[in-house]
Amino acid sequence: MIKLDGISRVWPEFAIRDVTLEVIEGQYLVIVGPTGAGKTLLLELLLGVHQPDAGRIFVGEREVTGLPPEKRGIGMVYQDYLLFPHLDVARNLAFGLRYQQCDRGHVQRRVIEISELLGIKHLLHRYPYTLSGGEKQRVAIGRALATEPRVLLLDEPLSALDRGTAARLRAEIKSLHTSKKLTILHVTHDLSEARQMDGPIALIKEGRLDALGTADDLLRRPPTVFAATFFGAVNLYKADVAVTAGGRRVVAGPIVAESVLAGDGLHLMIHPDEVALVAEVAAERPHHLRGDVTALTDEGNYVAVQLRVIGLPAPLTAYVSRHLVRTNKLQLGSVVAADVSRAIHVLKE
Amino acid sequence: MNAVAAQPVTREPAKTGGVSAVSWLLIFIPFVVVFLLIGRYLIAGVVLAVTILWAVKDRKSKRLPLAPLAVFSVCGGLLIFFIILPILNLLFTTDPSRVVSTALDPAVQSALAITLSAALIATCISLLFGIPLGYVLAREQFAGKSAVEGIIDMPVVIPHTIAGIALLFIFGRGGILGAPLKTHFNVLLSDSYWGIVLAMLFVGLPFVVNHCRDGFLKVDPRMEYVARSLGASWLQAFFHVTIPLTRRALLSGAIMTWARAISEFGSVAIIAYYPKTINTLLFEWYNFFGYTYTKPLSTLLLLVALAIFISLRAIATFKRAEY
Repeated sequence: MIKLDGISRVWPEFAIRDVTLEVIEGQYLVIVGPTGAGKTLLLELLLGVHQPDAGRIFVGEREVTGLPPEKRGIGMVYQDYLLFPHLDVARNLAFGLRYQQCDRGHVQRRVIEISELLGIKHLLHRYPYTLSGGEKQRVAIGRALATEPRVLLLDEPLSALDRGTAARLRAEIKSLHTSKKLTILHVTHDLSEARQMDGPIALIKEGRLDALGTADDLLRRPPTVFAATFFGAVNLYKADVAVTAGGRRVVAGPIVAESVLAGDGLHLMIHPDEVALVAEVAAERPHHLRGDVTALTDEGNYVAVQLRVIGLPAPLTAYVSRHLVRTNKLQLGSVVAADVSRAIHVLKE
Repeated sequence: MNAVAAQPVTREPAKTGGVSAVSWLLIFIPFVVVFLLIGRYLIAGVVLAVTILWAVKDRKSKRLPLAPLAVFSVCGGLLIFFIILPILNLLFTTDPSRVVSTALDPAVQSALAITLSAALIATCISLLFGIPLGYVLAREQFAGKSAVEGIIDMPVVIPHTIAGIALLFIFGRGGILGAPLKTHFNVLLSDSYWGIVLAMLFVGLPFVVNHCRDGFLKVDPRMEYVARSLGASWLQAFFHVTIPLTRRALLSGAIMTWARAISEFGSVAIIAYYPKTINTLLFEWYNFFGYTYTKPLSTLLLLVALAIFISLRAIATFKRAEY
């Protein structure tokens, strides 16, 4: 549905470089990245208010590179709503319809229809400055949907709303996505928002596409250190490649892993919730690390146990149940073995 | 439902503050000064005492301590009085019947018509050319932008007699553009109605351009992006979103330009002494008959200017949309 093919654009103070991305029809793609990563600019390139220096953009089968925004059929909703303050809600909703040769009756019906869909029918004659944030964002979404775009771009649509309003609106956007068969690109810096949208996630770093995958992919198998850090990885260690008789191995201190990845800058990541703590070590076994407990933090649903492991440059954190802490009498200084065999993930710089 | 989110957001009421210490000081201290100057020491003392008492009693603003507040307010009050006093004096000491008879004088009427219409035309022309320039200055960064902004402000600082002479060298009978205009189109700008418009345009343009630029700066360019994503072409977005959102800035720029054009004398008198504008007429009367003779005409002109100023300000603030 949407295809970005090697999009680059250089501004004096920022650049989008070689972004290739494909969104299939009806998909809900969430774009995340730190502030200033170029997420909004990427959307605006797609919208057509900026033109790329290189690369091509397709919407459906049609190439839209170089076309002005009004010829692309893409709707846009910004975080700060940007309702037209000189028009009431009804005329905001009808704004796009005045450019589609349709008669008054149709415009009226469409405005009513859209306002019912978004639950803003009672606001039709109000002016934007009298609306609350949630109401404004509903109007902004309704205004974008009124012209029936095939693609909707949402730039941090929920970030300015309080938590309850944001949750309700998020659910409504999701149901609109399904009922209207929309293709949506949703920019956010909020990770939980990104995960709740159930779509693939694209991670942008300094104007480049850093990682792309499902939430599960990016959380469990982040391809890069940046992605791992961005999605909250706890145990990350710089690793070396060692060629042994058994093949190539990736080594970080006592942890040894097999990997298809090669080259410099490899890292090992240990999922803290996949580390099995064993109180007594019967024998030295592969992937069993001996360490002593240096911190125990109760995180509510689990306990974060920090271990100092000889040979590891940084402590190893494991998330365990309270039950396990109690039965094994874990406390500061306890010596335990950590089975990391199922917790290892190898990734690149 | 979240009660806070469900409620419409009501704007904070404007801080009117009522009559406060600042009001008392600003209004009455100048009277104290005047009473002192004309020797009514007792009245001056009473007014001063009452003012200070009220000021202390009504003091609502705690932002400034009383002493600097008093000093600053008195300075401000004197400044305001300096503007108001000559105007009020002119308005209230002129015989109304003489103002009426002056207004009926055909020479005055024609001069007034020329002045107002020429100023209006100059304003329209400056809007026509100033809006695009203001937009470019607001939206684009380019080499030499500050130079352009400096050039736009030049007519404000150049003495207007010099502006008139400089314009005459270009548009006058033998001027660089004036000569070809005369030979090819038989248009002569010097000593003509269009010469007046030209001079007024020159001195009024900065106001329109600067007001437009400031107005456009306040419109988020993303507002235009949204309009275009909804199907508006660039031009439609400009006329349906940007211009309506800047109409107050445009209007106030136009008011300033028109007012400036009406009051222009120096450059107008040099480029086009004839046909006479109201200022030229006033200057002539002053030279020939002295200043008391010009008093009714001055009052008349003042009334016209005030009427325009007040009505246009009212339009500009009318239906104060909350954006």
